[in-house]
Amino acid sequence: MRVGRYGILLAVLLVSLLLLTVQTRGGGTGRAGELVTIAVTPVQSLLVRIHRGGLNFWANYVDWKSVRRDNAALHEENEHLRVQAMQAGETREENARLRRLLVLKDRLPLATVAGEVIGREAGGWVRSLTVNRGRGDGIAQQTPVIVPDGLVGRVVQVHRGAAVIQLLNDPASTVGAVVQRTRTAGLVEGDAGGTVRFKFMARDGASVAPGDLVVTSGLGTLFPKGLPVGRVIKIEDKGSALFHFAVLAPAVDFSRVEEVLLVTGQTTQDVATLFPSEG
Amino acid sequence: MLRLLVLLVIVGGGVLQSTVVAVAGVAGITPDIPLILTVLIALRYGPESGCLAGFVAGLLQDATGGGLVGVQALTKGLAGFGMGLLVGRFWVSNPLVQVPGLVLLSISEGLGRFLLLQMFHYPAAFGDLMLHVILPQALYNGLIGTLCILAEASFELVRRRTWR
Repeated sequence: MRVGRYGILLAVLLVSLLLLTVQTRGGGTGRAGELVTIAVTPVQSLLVRIHRGGLNFWANYVDWKSVRRDNAALHEENEHLRVQAMQAGETREENARLRRLLVLKDRLPLATVAGEVIGREAGGWVRSLTVNRGRGDGIAQQTPVIVPDGLVGRVVQVHRGAAVIQLLNDPASTVGAVVQRTRTAGLVEGDAGGTVRFKFMARDGASVAPGDLVVTSGLGTLFPKGLPVGRVIKIEDKGSALFHFAVLAPAVDFSRVEEVLLVTGQTTQDVATLFPSEG
Repeated sequence: MLRLLVLLVIVGGGVLQSTVVAVAGVAGITPDIPLILTVLIALRYGPESGCLAGFVAGLLQDATGGGLVGVQALTKGLAGFGMGLLVGRFWVSNPLVQVPGLVLLSISEGLGRFLLLQMFHYPAAFGDLMLHVILPQALYNGLIGTLCILAEASFELVRRRTWR
């Protein structure tokens, strides 16, 4: 066993030295080297290809990961920008609304307090808004509430820092009004269906037509004269009845009201000209 | 079958050395994979296998490396034989001995190769060679050897647990 072991060592030594001797005597790497090279070269080529393929695969993977990471970052940035854009849009709209409100406030010959809508009730039984102005701001019950488009309603409940506004389309809402063109008087009432009706128009001489603007009459001391209430969209003629009524499209889109003016002062002046009159 | 497997491993290691490892150098230094494989084979299968593995691996390196064919065949053959003889002595089976042993063997193999090449008027200075080639490569070999030993130990552990 031991002889075999050293025999192998001896053989290795001899072969190596022989190879070295052959080379140094004859030059070059010799036939043995050539044979080894011929045998090994294809394997080397294959391995290099595999290696390059592996490197390419790795590079692609790294690229893919990078792209994926970039994609996630861009997606996040995109979401962020979208939110920012939405916020900017919201701010722009709010700015426009407040600007209109401010213009109205400046032009009105009335003392007003601006309020922000902080709550809504639109279940049908009651239709109201809650604003962040209350007793401390000089708000009292029955205070008229307006926006640049027209009348919103009146204050029905006042708390320390908030007030509840009964909307025009609330079933319990009643406002004295006239048709601006014909001066036909009547009452604007809400109903359970959410529509607004102009009631108790006298049949005689009431040539009210769709498109006519209905404004507050100013009778009594509650609402200033000339606040837009709505436009006639349909006349309901009951034939032989003493009165007939018109269905109105409210001047104000109650669902979009976010800021309001609470009218704390009084005036006898017709304010209709301060509001948009396009139909 | 076992010899064939050893041969494949060592040939594969040699080819690997001239292809993949050649581009995995750190500061121009590459590990000597065939030497590491030779040592591992010698540790596992004894001096004969170590000697033959070292010879084949060295021959392959000589042939593919463009140097004098036989130099590494001789030095690695001797390294494999020497390491195989140490099995059972000096706690060679202990990894804490194997790694420094591999480093020392790498240095010895480098020295042997340098001495052998001196006979053929190899031009490089010994100091430069030691500083820039032999020692860094020995350390690199030690690192790779450690990883190989850890991998082998893990494989062995898994194998034992699986068979149990």
